[in-house]
Amino acid sequence: MSKEKIEGLKEAEEVQQGRREFLKNVCVSSVAGLVATSTSAEASVDATNPDADVTVAEFFQGHFILMSEEEKQKAIARLEKRYSAQYKKKTTVSNTPAPDGVLFGYALDISKCIGCRRCVHACVKENNQSRHDPEVQWIQVMKMPKGNIAFTAENLDKGYPEKSEFGDYGVQVGGNAYKTAGLSTEDAQNYYNDDLVPDRDFFYMPVQCQQCEKPPCVKACPVRATFRDHAGVVLIDYNWCIGCRMCQLACPYHARRFNWGEPNLPAEEMNPKTHYFGNRPRMRGVMEKCTFCVQRTREGRNPACLEACPVGARKFGNLLDPESDVRRVLATKRVFRFKEEYGTYPKFFYYIG
Amino acid sequence: MHKHIKEVSVIKEDNSRRSFFKKAAAAVGLVAAAGYTKNVISKSSSSTGDAGAKYAADIASQEKAVLGNQLILMTDDEKKQRLDALLNCHYQEIA
Repeated sequence: MSKEKIEGLKEAEEVQQGRREFLKNVCVSSVAGLVATSTSAEASVDATNPDADVTVAEFFQGHFILMSEEEKQKAIARLEKRYSAQYKKKTTVSNTPAPDGVLFGYALDISKCIGCRRCVHACVKENNQSRHDPEVQWIQVMKMPKGNIAFTAENLDKGYPEKSEFGDYGVQVGGNAYKTAGLSTEDAQNYYNDDLVPDRDFFYMPVQCQQCEKPPCVKACPVRATFRDHAGVVLIDYNWCIGCRMCQLACPYHARRFNWGEPNLPAEEMNPKTHYFGNRPRMRGVMEKCTFCVQRTREGRNPACLEACPVGARKFGNLLDPESDVRRVLATKRVFRFKEEYGTYPKFFYYIG
Repeated sequence: MHKHIKEVSVIKEDNSRRSFFKKAAAAVGLVAAAGYTKNVISKSSSSTGDAGAKYAADIASQEKAVLGNQLILMTDDEKKQRLDALLNCHYQEIA
């Protein structure tokens, strides 16, 4: 090989090496850039930037139910770190599982409720809901004229079976026959603003998630972000929710609330004792709803709305236990069905004591 | 002859480097455009006025869903049936 040819090859090799070096540098800098981006996203949790709410790791995490124990602990640690920094207080995110041998049920005495809305505000405080623009409320109290009551107590025993030439088939006439034995929400008001409650001509009926045994919202969710736990409570994995709002459309009670904007939760009002599926602060673009205060009830406590009720209109308990308050209500009180035609088997009962 | 080959290789080298820079610049531009678009979209969707109307629409639809219905008194049999149905459903799922 001639001397010139060898030199040419050497030069070509140098050029190739230069290119390789360059590409290597480009790769290294890209990787460094990616690492820096994710680190800055993690690090910027205490910044006011709302985009820092969802870190890269959170964005890529799977459905909480399907995670391994280690992944769950990592996810919870990430959330606790972020919330503690964001709200400037030590925040815990619990992962207490649903208790075995329990089916939660709720009963509300319409004749006792005075429409004070203390349950609504206790719920907002307990569950870290958006406080303003707007205040998101999971419980809506309806005010219904008492005149709506279609049956009368005096007529309850005045019905009798109709006699017919074909025999007595027990078809009732008289008394409350042919009248709807119940209340109508026809002339109800959702947004009353009375100085003084209760108004004695009205019943008050708080409506919230009915924790259906056959929940249509769960069937409608395309990603299974909402599901029913074995204690009968319908929950949402906020990080898995894609915000399609199919569940909201499916719910016959419209008990779900969508976060159209970033929730406004002042740090000083934030409840730091949270549950992953319950009251941890939510982000924009996800659905939320009543969970029977899963952060409380899974630890043997009562929901916040029940504790706040000044007249004891609310009862909560285990439907599997015949001695529980809810079972006693079912056994002894006049219980109503509400929108039963949807066949969702709600575990929230309205009754008159 | 050798000189000619060297020149050609240098030209090729320049070309490939130039095209690489072109591609790199295009990629950076694309990423920047995507980021900008994302910002524009998230800003527009988070505007409070817009969100306020949507919250109001949600509340109106709930009102519509709940009002105009009836609470029907259940007989003892109906209560028993309802409870049995709930318990059966629960035990089936547990099994």
